[in-house]
Amino acid sequence: MSVHRDIIIVGLNHRTAPIEVRESVAVEASLVPAALRTIRNLRSVHESAVLSTCNRVEVVAATSERDTAFMEVKRFLLDQQSAFGEKVVEEHLYAYAGGEAVRHLFRVAASLDSMVVGEPQILGQLKAYYSAAQEAGSVGAILHRLFHRSFTVAKRVRTETGIASRAVSIGSVAVELAKRIFDRLEDKTVMLIGAGKMGHLVARQLKSGGVSSLMVTNRTFETAVETAAEFQGNPIRFEELHRYLKLADLVVGCAAAPDFLLKREAVDETLRERKHEAMFFIDLGDRRNFDPRINALSNVYLYDIDDLQTVAQENLNGRAGEVDKAERIVDEEVESFLGWLDSLDQVPTIVALKERLEAIRRNEIEKSLRTSLKELSEKDRRAIDDMTSAIIGKILHGPISHLKRPLDGEEEALYVEALRKLFSLDEK
Amino acid sequence: MTEILLFKGTALLYLLAMGAFFIYLVLLKDVYARVAPFILLAGFVLHTAGLASQIARNGFPVVTDLHEALSVYSWLIVGIYLLVQVKYRLTVLGCFVAPLAFLMALAGLAVGPGGGELPPGLRTSWLYIHVTLAFLGNAVFALAFAVSLMYLVQESRLKTKRMTALYKLLPSLERLDRLNYTFLVWGFPLMTLGIITGSLWAGFYWGAYWSWDPRYIASVITWLLYAALLQGRITAGWRGKRAATLTIVGFVVVLGYFLWGDAVFPSRHAGNFE
Repeated sequence: MSVHRDIIIVGLNHRTAPIEVRESVAVEASLVPAALRTIRNLRSVHESAVLSTCNRVEVVAATSERDTAFMEVKRFLLDQQSAFGEKVVEEHLYAYAGGEAVRHLFRVAASLDSMVVGEPQILGQLKAYYSAAQEAGSVGAILHRLFHRSFTVAKRVRTETGIASRAVSIGSVAVELAKRIFDRLEDKTVMLIGAGKMGHLVARQLKSGGVSSLMVTNRTFETAVETAAEFQGNPIRFEELHRYLKLADLVVGCAAAPDFLLKREAVDETLRERKHEAMFFIDLGDRRNFDPRINALSNVYLYDIDDLQTVAQENLNGRAGEVDKAERIVDEEVESFLGWLDSLDQVPTIVALKERLEAIRRNEIEKSLRTSLKELSEKDRRAIDDMTSAIIGKILHGPISHLKRPLDGEEEALYVEALRKLFSLDEK
Repeated sequence: MTEILLFKGTALLYLLAMGAFFIYLVLLKDVYARVAPFILLAGFVLHTAGLASQIARNGFPVVTDLHEALSVYSWLIVGIYLLVQVKYRLTVLGCFVAPLAFLMALAGLAVGPGGGELPPGLRTSWLYIHVTLAFLGNAVFALAFAVSLMYLVQESRLKTKRMTALYKLLPSLERLDRLNYTFLVWGFPLMTLGIITGSLWAGFYWGAYWSWDPRYIASVITWLLYAALLQGRITAGWRGKRAATLTIVGFVVVLGYFLWGDAVFPSRHAGNFE
């Protein structure tokens, strides 16, 4: 009768899948509501949320049939793309359930699963995708609690460990590399192509790293103007990219474009115009913005997200201790969340509720019999005992029979949660 | 006697400096980076004293055999490095210079003082000027060579994206390239003047400004190479890897001749003055 509550996560990330495969499965921000509708229609899924960043595409779902849900969600992800064979994509997918899934989401939120451990953006992204799921109405009591706990975990990890303070984001890795190529950044110019978040972040880091001059271009000129204003840079019309490229020492691409924005030939030409002064290309596009063959040109260095990850990994070694601390926080929180999840089962809740009311009844009777009703005979006492028991039985009859009716997992969780809160069942 | 002691002390200090630089490379502790150049400086001071006493004894500053040549050469390299270190704080370069200086000092000691007798006819100021310029030029190119090697290492790290601890230690490509250019700009005129004074001196002494002597040929090949590099840098924007590679090739030609040339191709230059 009791519905077994379970949480599953199916997806792929920067560790399991190369950028091309991640891109092929990625859910565009505007398509998230539609994707959530599709997932909600899956028979086995009660609640769901989608998470799709450059580094990961994941579906988080609450279910009562783990295996069916695994299959259905996998199918959903495979149907997202057509660029690769299903076998290829499936190889890169991971699937977690129960405690493993909870741990995974907590680690993601705490930025322990990030390409650059400790980078702060992931939490914001997680919150954004959670709100999207909430707006779409696909989040219920379980995912609500799960996500909120994950935010708390992230906060704890941030304040209780040194991960965040020593966090090396993709941006600072880019700055570090730039400083190995260029002697000083103060006399260098950055060209920012596209409006992607990562691009903004890296541009900001480069600016605080010393870069003084910045050009911004975008297919939509207005966006370029806005971004340029934000960075005190110069907006460039997209058609004029090639004309201005020769002025740029660093080129950051974070555009959503199906094709390369810069091909090898174009960069080769630009280099000649620059008398072969070094150029540093940073490709942060969801799909690649720059032709990978650019890296073969001399005095040109091209890094994409995966490359930056490799470098970031080097920086990680010194931070193992803090990571361990963070993992222990995650362990604790997983434990406590699983405890809560178990408590959602109706049977223990009913038992707890009965015990609670019974305790109140006993307490009050004892108090009265000791004071105002001290004179009562044994018979009267029994009568009062029976009467109060009956009252409690009557009060509980409605809620309990309601709970015992077959409900879908989400509704049941909702009631159980409400009861536990209203009657403070989790307080000892 | 004191001279030998001074040179032994020099070699020992260069060895210590080398050790300090290597410990710095491994442990990356700044203490060693700060101490190592000072040990090298101490060695340099002893070295200078040794050379001064040699000149006082001979009455003329000249390099007549491999021992003295190595000694003067390493003295110049260390000296120029110390200047560069003051200006650019390029401790990693010391990791290259210190072992080089030590090996040269050691080789010099092993070869021992030769019969450094200079025919009185050769004792002209032209010769001193020629030797000084040529050695200075070569010493500058030795450092350019070191900087170019570092450039190639750093460049390949950045291209292949395999970062080791070394990559954090090495200066930026731009700085290495600029140093390469600085060395080229200083070294090339020195080398040119060295060749011209040598040729003039040969004209006075042997009666011919040019002869098909292997030493001349090697010098001219190297000079042409560096000339092309300088020209390419200024007009065509040759830089980076290409400049570094050419610098290395040029230096290897010079070094090759300096170390083995006389044995392979007998020349009347250097010790053979008949």
